[in-house]
Amino acid sequence: MGSHYEAPIRKPLVTGNKSYHQISVDVARPIEGVANQKWWIVFGISLILFLWGIVCIIYTISTGIGVWGLNKTVGWAWDITNFVWWIGIGHAGTLISAVLLLFRQKWRMGINRSAEAMTIFSVIQAGLFPVIHMGRPWLAYWIVPIPNQFGSLWVNFNSPLLWDVFAISTYLTISLVFWWTGLLPDFAMIRDRAIKPFQKKIYSLVSFGWSGRAKDWQRFEEVSLVLAGLATPLVLSVHTIVSFDFATSVIPGWHTTIFPPYFVAGAIFSGFAMVQTLLIVMRKVCDLEDYITLQHIELMNIVIMITGSLVGCAYITELFIAWYSGVEYEQYAFLNRATGPYWWAYWAMMTCNVFSPQFMWIKKLRTSIVFSFVISIVVNIGMWFERFVIIVTSLHRDYLPSSWTMFSPTFVDIGIFIGTIGFFFVLFLLYARTFPVIAQAEVKTILKSSGDNYKKLRDKK
Amino acid sequence: MNKNIKKYWKSEIELTDSSKVESLRNNEFVEKLPVDDILSDKNSLENSNTNRRDFLKYLGFSTSAAVLASCEGPVHKSVPYVIQPERIRPGISNYYATSMFDGYDCANILVKTREGRPIKIENNKLAKFHGSANARVHASILSMYDSARIQGPIHLGKDISWDDFDTKIIEKLDLLRFSNKPVVLMTNTIVSPTTSKIISSFTEKYPNVTHVEYDSISESSVLDAHEMMYGIRAIPYYEFDKAKYILSIGADFLGDWLGSNYDADYAKGRIPVKIDGTASMSKHIQIESNMSVTGANADSRIPISSSLQKLFLTHLYKKVSNLNIQLPELDDKLSSNLNQIYDDLISYGSSSLVVCGIDDIHAQILTNSINDLVKSKCKSTSKISLLRQGKNKKVTDLINKIYNQEISGLIMSGVNPAYSLPNSKQFSESLEKLDFSVNISMKMDETSSKCQYVAASSHYLESWADFEFINGEYSICQPTIKTLFDTRQPEECLLKWSNSSESMYETLKENWTTNILNSNDSWNKAIHDGVYSLDKKVNFNNNSIDVVNSINALIKNKTKNFELFLYSKIGMGDGQRANNPWLQEFPDPISRVSWDNYLTVSKKDAESLGLKNYNESNGALNSNYAKVVLEDEEIKLPVIIQPGQAIGTVGISFGYGRTLGVKSEMKTGSNAFLLYKDFSKLQDVEIKPVYEIHEFACVQLHNTLMGRGDIVRETTLELFNTKDKNYWNPIPVVSKDHIETPVNKREVDIWEEFDRSIGHHFNLSIDLNACTGCGACVIACHAENNVPVVGKREIRKSRDMHWLRIDRYYSSDVSFEDDNKNKDNISGISDSLTVFGQMEDPNENPQVVFQPVMCQHCNHAPCETVCPVAASSHGRQGQNHMAYNRCVGTRYCANNCPYKVRRFNWFLYNNNDEFDFNMNDDLGKMVLNPDVVVRSRGVMEKCSFCIQSTQAVILKAKNEGREVDKNEFNDACACSAACSTGAMSFGDINNKESEVYKRKKDERVYHLLEYVGTKPNVFYHTKVRNIDKSI
Repeated sequence: MGSHYEAPIRKPLVTGNKSYHQISVDVARPIEGVANQKWWIVFGISLILFLWGIVCIIYTISTGIGVWGLNKTVGWAWDITNFVWWIGIGHAGTLISAVLLLFRQKWRMGINRSAEAMTIFSVIQAGLFPVIHMGRPWLAYWIVPIPNQFGSLWVNFNSPLLWDVFAISTYLTISLVFWWTGLLPDFAMIRDRAIKPFQKKIYSLVSFGWSGRAKDWQRFEEVSLVLAGLATPLVLSVHTIVSFDFATSVIPGWHTTIFPPYFVAGAIFSGFAMVQTLLIVMRKVCDLEDYITLQHIELMNIVIMITGSLVGCAYITELFIAWYSGVEYEQYAFLNRATGPYWWAYWAMMTCNVFSPQFMWIKKLRTSIVFSFVISIVVNIGMWFERFVIIVTSLHRDYLPSSWTMFSPTFVDIGIFIGTIGFFFVLFLLYARTFPVIAQAEVKTILKSSGDNYKKLRDKK
Repeated sequence: MNKNIKKYWKSEIELTDSSKVESLRNNEFVEKLPVDDILSDKNSLENSNTNRRDFLKYLGFSTSAAVLASCEGPVHKSVPYVIQPERIRPGISNYYATSMFDGYDCANILVKTREGRPIKIENNKLAKFHGSANARVHASILSMYDSARIQGPIHLGKDISWDDFDTKIIEKLDLLRFSNKPVVLMTNTIVSPTTSKIISSFTEKYPNVTHVEYDSISESSVLDAHEMMYGIRAIPYYEFDKAKYILSIGADFLGDWLGSNYDADYAKGRIPVKIDGTASMSKHIQIESNMSVTGANADSRIPISSSLQKLFLTHLYKKVSNLNIQLPELDDKLSSNLNQIYDDLISYGSSSLVVCGIDDIHAQILTNSINDLVKSKCKSTSKISLLRQGKNKKVTDLINKIYNQEISGLIMSGVNPAYSLPNSKQFSESLEKLDFSVNISMKMDETSSKCQYVAASSHYLESWADFEFINGEYSICQPTIKTLFDTRQPEECLLKWSNSSESMYETLKENWTTNILNSNDSWNKAIHDGVYSLDKKVNFNNNSIDVVNSINALIKNKTKNFELFLYSKIGMGDGQRANNPWLQEFPDPISRVSWDNYLTVSKKDAESLGLKNYNESNGALNSNYAKVVLEDEEIKLPVIIQPGQAIGTVGISFGYGRTLGVKSEMKTGSNAFLLYKDFSKLQDVEIKPVYEIHEFACVQLHNTLMGRGDIVRETTLELFNTKDKNYWNPIPVVSKDHIETPVNKREVDIWEEFDRSIGHHFNLSIDLNACTGCGACVIACHAENNVPVVGKREIRKSRDMHWLRIDRYYSSDVSFEDDNKNKDNISGISDSLTVFGQMEDPNENPQVVFQPVMCQHCNHAPCETVCPVAASSHGRQGQNHMAYNRCVGTRYCANNCPYKVRRFNWFLYNNNDEFDFNMNDDLGKMVLNPDVVVRSRGVMEKCSFCIQSTQAVILKAKNEGREVDKNEFNDACACSAACSTGAMSFGDINNKESEVYKRKKDERVYHLLEYVGTKPNVFYHTKVRNIDKSI
């Protein structure tokens, strides 16, 4: 795909005088090397969090949902907040690999592997919540339309929760296939370099017999394009459908037609923020600064800034429409969001999601790695609050004031959330040690056009 | 002979050569077991792999394995009927008419039994005197299945047999009789003619015994005044349905005042029915200090202290009687109110009624006099109520005698003075010192535990009795189940102790056939009906009364500190049923607090004392404590800031603070009887704030309607009569192509409708004018539908499970109408913040409204569309079904319910020690309705329109080959059946004859949140207030 001419004003996407071999060495280094102490410490902490999450889940399932802070008025809180948050985070991967592929954005090559990995790992976290939030999770399979002998029982295709099941499972499947397809030549590279027989065996298995023939590469390109074509509508559909959980309801604050685009923008926003968080750490830890350059970070910051502004626009539109609708319940719902008992959550959301990304207009800030890292964390927090605000502040004061109440989480609510964070990092850390974290085959295709040494050579002419 | 005996042989050999068989039989082991050989062979023993330790191991294993293998689940023996009793068919309910009186509550009821087991209380509609079951009576069935009941007679803490018990008691009684030592029989009010007879024959047998009636909450002042003026010691019989103008001065007649039961009559006058285009309804003015249920229902409410109420009464009397007397002045506002009330009283004339709840004989004399002066026809001149008999003086004398050891023996029945006397501690001590003490009681309560003899008493559902609540209106109480334990009803004890061989049943029947029944009326029919009427009239004397003396006595009174007015809560009454989890969890209609009593304080006083109510982060209500000091008595209580509480007054409810005979969970609140000195509900107390935190279990955390007049629609009688329906009850509009279209029009509906005109289509009508908020429906629903009790901790987390709740709203401004106006006049964001901020707090003297809310059974139900597994779906008869065993518990339906009526089983509420209420023990589970499943955890539940009963009605009609009667469905729904005021009416709107169909055509009808387009099958009737702007 690659070796087109690239204008000199474009910044190089691969720095540090890389040769093809050097790229292979760099990418294979974490896999072939031994984990350092830092890795073990971080992994250990993540594992503990993960195990604590499992304890909390077991406690919930064995005792009842009552161990959470929910009540008769607020039937969802942290569970679905976490679900939507993780799903949102899982958005960036497919966007980067599919949409940017179709738009021929080469800067995606440095980051798409990890972004996709992040997608899959966060969708796994997200998928946990719809199951464990059920009163009787052992019957979770009832929400899948499988032939059964319970009589003429069938699922209710009107329910957005059922749409979620389809949307998420499709998304997970396509993302996984897409990710693995991209991994094939890279796994093959590792396999070819492997010295230990066991390692060789494993990587030959996972590389599905990649031989590097021209036919392989042709099919690879074709499949990538087809999958990108399939995955692109999914980027829009998944979060659209998640937003239907709320948009199709009758609760003021949920019943909003703006939700689908608003959720998609928010998802991309939070997804990019999470990619940013992970990659800023990873490029440092795995010595990948040459592949994930400041240029990548800056571009991602711009995406964050734009999507953040879109989200902010949606927030303001919501307020406007609430006022414009003339519906008193709607008006009160939004007044209550901003000024009611949960005002702090609303303004945390506003600050983190709308105000903080605006700093990225300043070039100095968006090229500062520390600042980018801080903002990416802030955005993740803000996006969690966004979902909390939508879910809890709409429910806790809806139509009949007699039912109004408050929600406050228990240690189990918190434990399960932290557990999923632990689980996510356990997976990601294992991934970072066993998978080629840069799509080296793709990066090699742009080395001649976008590698700094080659660019310099060309520019001298 | 021997030869003739037939010989049975098993084989041919046995027949021919029996000796061989015989030898074989004797030698079972053909070869001798080589035990000795083995044991004597030391070598082989030592070389054996199986040594002694192994042997023991094998032995141990095989024994325990055999034991384990033989273990099975516990065997429950169920004995089938050998002879199927007639009319008891499995799966079919039987109803028995009975009645109850426990010294506090009275009711004529039907008891629903299943397979011989009483499971629910319903109203007996044959009764002329309503005596309809209130919340406590509905819950009383659970008290029978109370695991804390005494299960047999007890002597000095030890179980003994009834024979020994009787022998000992008779011995002791004889001893006391011969030595002529005084013994007192202390009971609650006796309204039973037969029991009175039994008591008199008991006192005949033992002339040293005197009988004293003791009401824990005394109404002596009313009785004394009546006795003094009319020569009969009784409660006046008020007929509220005849009243067009009701002035109540401190009388909570929709609560427990005088044994009450006035709500049905009251509600009759409160429903405005248009005749020739104009409707009329009664006007109700309430002057009171605490916010009572009655005050909440009043058209106008004047919150003033009881001492001001007394003064007001004297002024009113002065005006009505044209008496020339100098009285202390009223302030301007009160005197203008006085003038208005006086004018109304005179203009309504004989249709007006004044009732007074002040515990003062003089106030009662003035009240009676005013009623007589205006010739009120609402106070009967031939009927009297006998529900209370206690005389304060007699009781005080008795108590003093006990203190001074002037009596030797005390027999008690139906009372718990060690709890309900102000100086209960002294009483308990004196009781222990008595030579002879007996308590006939169902519980090992405060009194029983101090008595030498405790006779285990039966529940009224296990007893025979009769009552005469109103003169000439008799009720019969018949057992609906054999005594669950080795218990005896009090009358049986007295009969036994008077050496009578008759049983209560025999005595009752004899008394009825000889003294009560007319010769041509049948005893069986009387039992069947449960009620019996005789045309008995009483003649009132007209004694002359020194009114001036009464007036002078009334105006003298002044309180120095805070004026405490003790009241009783609908949930707990006088505290007899404190061990009843349904009642503990029952939210008070006014404060909506369950599991507690508290000190009600006005907002102003709370501010000056620094007392606070506030919500925790999960919404739960917390408060400070206050110490209430009365002379040497001091109790500490949490505080509720009560809108409508008169400034300078406080209120505490009776019935809480029980310490013995109740489970630890039920030991809630503080005992207000400690402050009930001299049987006066009015006390002069000091309030000291205590800045500790109390945790309340309150089911409603937001008290105001926030200007959402759409939820509780109301109008005034004037507008109702003069304006078009669209003015005061418009149908909400939505935009369709930018045109305002009524929401019930077909074109704004995105759903396909199916034909609902075939078969039954159920609707429930709720008239907000008739609903007094009494809560009988809440408990009836609890009983019918096996609703779990979740306890204080869970209620604090807003997890109450009631399928039916009665929302109570206060107005933020002086009226709801002003709230709506304030909200409509909001301009701009800052204004809306201010106005909504102000609306969060109720007014100091707010208007109050009650709104029962249960599942609205929407025809376009938001819950149904969102359930992924279709557990919630729509029924052909209009119900919104809930298939519990299909539910996976996503709670999406509850979130999407605009009415928030769905209840989730957060935990396992049965067979769980964490929730140690009636569903955690075998006895308490007997009350469960076998027609309704007990929900497991993780499942959503909600009101089903009592589908089990509506189906039963349909099946019954089908079996009998007829159509369902026009109003037959009304009694199928637990709530509408329990509603004594007629606020709820349930039925089939496809039956054009039915009451509910007629009510649906009423122009006051509206649906809750109609604009959402849910098309509910529950509809409400706009509340019409007979408001007088001048008060």
